[in-house]
Amino acid sequence: MSEATTQQQAAAETVRSPLIELSGVEKTYRTGKLEYRALRGVDLSIDRGEMVALVGPSGSGKSTVLNIITGIDRPTAGTVTVDGSRLDDLSEEELAVWRGANVGIVFQFFQLLPTLTALENAALPLDFLRRGSKHDRFERARHNLEVVGLGDKLEHLPAELSGGEQQRVAIARSLAADPGLIVGDEPTGNLDSVTADEMFRLLGRLNDEGKTVLFVTHDRDLAARAGRVVEIRDGRVVGG
Amino acid sequence: MLSAEHRVSVADLLRRPARTIFTLLTLAIAVASISFFAVPTLIDDAMQDEVREGRLADVAVGIRPLELSDADLAALEDVPGVAAVEPRSSVDARVLIGERRAPARVIGIRDFADQDVDVVRVESGSAPGPGELMADVQDENTGVYDGAAGDDVTLVGAAGEQADFTLSGRGRSLPDGEQVQDEKVVVLYAPAATVAALSGEPGYGGLALRLDDTDPAAARATVERVRRQLETFPGFEGFTNLPEIRAPGDWPGKADTEQFSQLLGVITVLALISAAVLVSNTLSTLVAEQTREIGVMRAVGARRRQVALVYLRTTLLLGAVGAVAGTLLGILMSSALARYFGSTYWAVDVAPGIDPTVVLASLLVGLVAPPLVALPAIRRALSVDLREALEATGSATGGTDALDRALRRTSFLPRVVQIGLRNVGRRKRRSLATAAIVALAVGNLLAVLALAQGATDSTRASWGSHLEDVQITTSNRAPFDDRARLTIVTTPGVAEAEPVLKNTVDLGGREAFVWGVEQDPLLDYRLAEGRWFDAEEDRDGARVAVIERNIAQLAGIEVGDTVDLGTAVGGASFRIIGIATNQQEDGTALYVPLTTTRDLLDRPAAASTYWIRTESRDTDQVDRTTSLLEDRLAAQGYEVSSEIRYVAERDEVAANSTLTTTIAVLGFLIVAMSMVGLANAITTNVLERTREIGILRSIGARARDVRRIFTTEGIVLALLGWLIGIPLGYLLTRLIVRLVWEIVDVRLPVVFPPGNVLVALVGTTVLALLVLVLPVRRAVRFRPGDALRYA
Repeated sequence: MSEATTQQQAAAETVRSPLIELSGVEKTYRTGKLEYRALRGVDLSIDRGEMVALVGPSGSGKSTVLNIITGIDRPTAGTVTVDGSRLDDLSEEELAVWRGANVGIVFQFFQLLPTLTALENAALPLDFLRRGSKHDRFERARHNLEVVGLGDKLEHLPAELSGGEQQRVAIARSLAADPGLIVGDEPTGNLDSVTADEMFRLLGRLNDEGKTVLFVTHDRDLAARAGRVVEIRDGRVVGG
Repeated sequence: MLSAEHRVSVADLLRRPARTIFTLLTLAIAVASISFFAVPTLIDDAMQDEVREGRLADVAVGIRPLELSDADLAALEDVPGVAAVEPRSSVDARVLIGERRAPARVIGIRDFADQDVDVVRVESGSAPGPGELMADVQDENTGVYDGAAGDDVTLVGAAGEQADFTLSGRGRSLPDGEQVQDEKVVVLYAPAATVAALSGEPGYGGLALRLDDTDPAAARATVERVRRQLETFPGFEGFTNLPEIRAPGDWPGKADTEQFSQLLGVITVLALISAAVLVSNTLSTLVAEQTREIGVMRAVGARRRQVALVYLRTTLLLGAVGAVAGTLLGILMSSALARYFGSTYWAVDVAPGIDPTVVLASLLVGLVAPPLVALPAIRRALSVDLREALEATGSATGGTDALDRALRRTSFLPRVVQIGLRNVGRRKRRSLATAAIVALAVGNLLAVLALAQGATDSTRASWGSHLEDVQITTSNRAPFDDRARLTIVTTPGVAEAEPVLKNTVDLGGREAFVWGVEQDPLLDYRLAEGRWFDAEEDRDGARVAVIERNIAQLAGIEVGDTVDLGTAVGGASFRIIGIATNQQEDGTALYVPLTTTRDLLDRPAAASTYWIRTESRDTDQVDRTTSLLEDRLAAQGYEVSSEIRYVAERDEVAANSTLTTTIAVLGFLIVAMSMVGLANAITTNVLERTREIGILRSIGARARDVRRIFTTEGIVLALLGWLIGIPLGYLLTRLIVRLVWEIVDVRLPVVFPPGNVLVALVGTTVLALLVLVLPVRRAVRFRPGDALRYA
């Protein structure tokens, strides 16, 4: 078999194999003597380049699924594979480094460091990765902030930015290491409808550029604009 | 069943066990510092026990040696108002310690088995019989003599005659042991007959009385009756001194202890200030963290007073537990301190005990202070806009003031260090309070180091000035004359002998000392300003003086000034030609030409002291030469005492060391509080920013990145404290030196070596790194998911 054919086959396999694969994932939270089963056996596959909305009522486990996929939480049972890495096998340190390099996370309440400027916040994941020179990191952060429309507010502190602007900075931060996967837990939940729409279109553009986007939302209308909707109820995937 | 309001007060404490424990620890240490005030009481209780067990005399009178029969003593005991009487005799001698003759006092006891007043109790070995002596426990405790039972002891009399004894053991007597401390004299006990043989005078030279009524007026009346009774005994020639009437409750050394307690009080006040800042900071933080909860309570209908009561209850609960824990800790601390002082200064075993007043004060302060100091913080939290309160995350945002802007200009530092540095500015009030506590500890450390350095420098300056090896001094009644000079200079071992004429004078109401010395004296004089007197001034008996800097500064005297001195023969004016830094007479000496002093006192050829340089510096040789000098002069009828430089210097260093060690022990408490404060501040920061830690870990921060952030915060706070502590330490040094001067009459120079500042820096940094281990470990222990959900 020729080398080109081998490469084509590998590429095709890469395209075919899911980016995210959860198999029989369970998650039980324990607080003292109390136990709460958040996930009761979740099987989920998400392909590269998809835009997926996770929906479900409060307490259904959708945020838990997101946390398991990003390694923020560990499953009590089951396996989690993201981009070929078995997350359940990695240590906390390995997970932190893996996240910084492979996942961009956008939180509902922005969660920017209040003492860092927009530029510094946007460059932070690269600082933790120790990737490139300081100049290169700032250049990358500057570029990402321009992509999200904040090229003129690089030196602003979060307290000097509106909610929408802070969320843009958070999105710029999530792009710092050019990850293949962007996740958001209610990324528009704290924004007005106009700003939320802008944010969602931004995420859509990133998806168009080839990034896999996965987000949790209560908003069914927003969910409908995603390429795929996965419904979670009582800790199980019931649809999508 | 508790109401919801009460449950909130309790639940919050249980929800954050680490924070609660830290707060309780803070409160406990703060309350415990009050226990310092109990130390004098505990010591006094132990000493009162000593007074009772030792049947301490209420009155001591000196009489010319008088033989007293048993009948005489019985008659004295029958005097109305007299409970018991004990005759005493004593003789001053020297005890041979190696080649050295150390001053000693042998106290004669009529009957060791039957003592009613100033009882000498046997601690080890046995009471001395004929040919035996017994040492006092304070001899070894103070380091003047460490002979043990079975040792041979040689006493040397005034005329150089020697007598050999065996040491029978060690005994204890409060008034006699105090002499060891005060006069650095070896106290030995012997049967009265032995003392009579040593002194050549039978009879007793003193009476120790216990009275039925110790009221001063009644005591004086009883003493008068005793005197009248004594007048009926043949040979009685009256009292040789004013009767010493011990005030009720007094004991030997109590006045000194009270003075020292005043000094300790300064350190205690510092500790209390540190404690107050620490408690205030801790409780303010506790309340500030509850801003959102306070908002929620107000949103569901709670009135401000109700909300305030919830948190006052919380602080009251904390205060109650902290008060009990602190009081118990304080009892342990005060007992340990009192035990230390008791054994160090009086060789007395101070049993653990409590001072009810201090215990009550501790409990009260511990209970009442926390709600009081929390009130401003509660008021602040209640005044926050309701919407803002509900949106509060517990974590302060970044500021935009000048300090915050300055902290952002640190791009040359690694990012995690920048984050840690800027975090210090997020809670400025808390950061400043934490730095203030560290500053108090650093200031205290610098003051203690400066005090120790000052004491060492003073000793070195004082003794380093001396080029002589021995000082021989005579009593004023019979000053040294030419015959004495000849005896001295012809004594084998003497290389050089220089006369000095010393006199006490009055300088503007202050006691000072004139030293009449030769133009080229056996004194390594060091001049800060001006000059020494020259040969012509010496020859002409010029009225010029070089003054020590300490007293010059106190009296505002400068070179060129004319000062009026009050002397025994009237006033005399001197022109100041120089300022010296030799620290002689604790810095109150004036050096004047010997000729001038002789002229002034009309004592040509007189000398009160001879400075003697021996042919060899070997301590045994110095001791032998000194012994020879004493014997030869005593044989010619001169009453002399000697001071050997190496011995006196060693004793002074030891005494200074005790003073500074004691202050340092107390200062350690302030250091402990500062470290608790620092650990508390960082732990609180970690808890407050737990979600933030989760975010950092979510975006790729490693454990070491999180560690570096919080370690940076802690180190920056510690360094800020160190910086503030430097000027504070200087001010404290001046204050303590002033207090030491005024209270215990020890004059130390103010020194502030830069090296100590570096020592404080290293100490602060090392301690900070140690106390940060646990809070920082806690910071990295959180799993991202748990951290993000932390509430």
